[in-house]
Amino acid sequence: MTGGALTPGMAALWLFGPFFLLMILRVPVAFALGLACLPVLFFEPRLSPMVVFNTTFKAYNSFILLAVPFFLLTANLMNVGGITDRLVTLSRTMVGNFPGALAQINVLLSVFFAGISGSSTADAASQGKIFIEAQVKEGYDLSFSIAITAVSAVLAVIIPPSILMVVWGGVLQVSIGALYLAGVVPGMLIGLAQMATVHVYAKVRHYPTYPRASFREFFSAAIVAIPALMTPFIIVGGILLGWFTSTESAAAAVIYAAVLSLGFYREMGRKELWHALLETGKLSAIALFCVGTASVFGWLLAYYQIPKALLANVTAWGMGSIGVGFFIVFVFLVVGCFLDAIPAIIIVGTTLQPLAESVHMHPVSFAIISIVALAFGLVTPPYGLCLMISCAIAKVRLRYALKDTLIMLVPMLLVLSAMVVWPEIPLLLPQLIRPEFLK
Amino acid sequence: MRKFINGYYRLLNVLLGVSVGVLILPVTVQMFSRFTQLIPAWIWTEEMARFLFIWMVMLGAMIGVRDASHFDVDVWPQLKPRPDAMLRLVSMMFVLVFALVFVWYGIKFVQFGWSQTSELADMPMPWIFVAWPLTGFTWLLFGFERMRADLRILIDGPGPDVGEVRRDIGTGSVV
Repeated sequence: MTGGALTPGMAALWLFGPFFLLMILRVPVAFALGLACLPVLFFEPRLSPMVVFNTTFKAYNSFILLAVPFFLLTANLMNVGGITDRLVTLSRTMVGNFPGALAQINVLLSVFFAGISGSSTADAASQGKIFIEAQVKEGYDLSFSIAITAVSAVLAVIIPPSILMVVWGGVLQVSIGALYLAGVVPGMLIGLAQMATVHVYAKVRHYPTYPRASFREFFSAAIVAIPALMTPFIIVGGILLGWFTSTESAAAAVIYAAVLSLGFYREMGRKELWHALLETGKLSAIALFCVGTASVFGWLLAYYQIPKALLANVTAWGMGSIGVGFFIVFVFLVVGCFLDAIPAIIIVGTTLQPLAESVHMHPVSFAIISIVALAFGLVTPPYGLCLMISCAIAKVRLRYALKDTLIMLVPMLLVLSAMVVWPEIPLLLPQLIRPEFLK
Repeated sequence: MRKFINGYYRLLNVLLGVSVGVLILPVTVQMFSRFTQLIPAWIWTEEMARFLFIWMVMLGAMIGVRDASHFDVDVWPQLKPRPDAMLRLVSMMFVLVFALVFVWYGIKFVQFGWSQTSELADMPMPWIFVAWPLTGFTWLLFGFERMRADLRILIDGPGPDVGEVRRDIGTGSVV
């Protein structure tokens, strides 16, 4: 793979230049990535545009990525099946007596929902509709309500199952089971950090609270919600016990969700089922199509050995493991502001991998700090999808909720920094439960 | 023409929804055959699932151009309808360039795999490869349709019904 007609520097210019230009012209990212590859493919005598076809075919011809539509379908089936209402009731009995009750419920529901779906945007969309208006009615500030909905939605890709972890595991060859286990503790810590933030806000701004629920109320709410809350245990447990591959576990979750929605909660008809199937197809296909064109772009970067050239300087700085960790987090935070997380993993994740290896960072902790940083990118402008969705639901411009969002990000960034300094935080659970996953 | 495009769009939607539903089957069969003795462990279930998956991705990519749901990054301030339509026309032009590449080289791609068969089920590979040129054709069709609508805005100004053509944010990403 050595020796193209272009030097790495020139090739990088010819790839990234057109890409950014096309992005500014509002060409969809998937197309911008594919189009940016064309000049180089035409120019390089040893390559031809056929690379686009071989590489996209290889990217889509993947059993691992099949899990993406399955996770989305599980979440959609649970949603139309009426599970969300039950989870709200359960959350209310658990944190309803805390200051800022409704916002606390918002965060806790995100934690629950994160275990069922692997998609933050789905979470932001469904919770935005439930909470933003309701919170404002109870006297919460609108910008606070938007911000907490958006930042709590990012938990969905940190707590397993997670679409980002599937893509990372598939592209960078890391055990998906290990990534799932490693995401649990960081996800819980970030959730706690958000609840603490809400607490401080509620104390300062005197947000309302609900009367404490009786144990009986909690118990009856829990009984109804438990079948839905079992989903993450089926997915993660099935992999840990060696029953399923990660894709099969996602399919098992779909079947479980269908049985629950049709048989147990009984709120889904044929029309809702069809709607869930179609929406799943549309959403996952668009994101996965981008995986293909991003793979072509990534393939060309590798062909010209651009990552090596880019990292030659960085390696010379002689950073230690923690320094490299912070560098990786910084890169992903910046990239996450501009790029969707899936192409970011394919392009930047593969670029930074040798750097992480050079300081003997564990592949799992490299993956988790990167995924968490990318998840934070979901609420950072200009391209912060969860924030955009929450603002769109509230019908305000993105700038409106920016200040509160950035305030809420501070404690979350502290958790992320702790994960960089102590890699044991993400590695704790996999070490306890399945140490062989980490080898 | 409009009737044809609408019908075609509906057909693609049905195919997409069905492909998502059917996708579950080979994976389920694979699990059942492992845990029970009821059905033999067919090895082609895995390949079947992958090929269906490819078609699902390509069908969704086709539909996404008509829905304008392929995600983009908007760094522009809120534009007036006319400049907004202008910008959409420019970006669609680039999409169509990519569509042409998909058609032209996609046909070569199919020819290249003409006599190939799949490893496990011995399925002719052109059945899969044909998804690429077909995607290109469909993009051209849907792309021209959208460009016509934007040209109308550019020339006649926005009609009363198209005042608020905000794109559906968040439909473009699953993350």
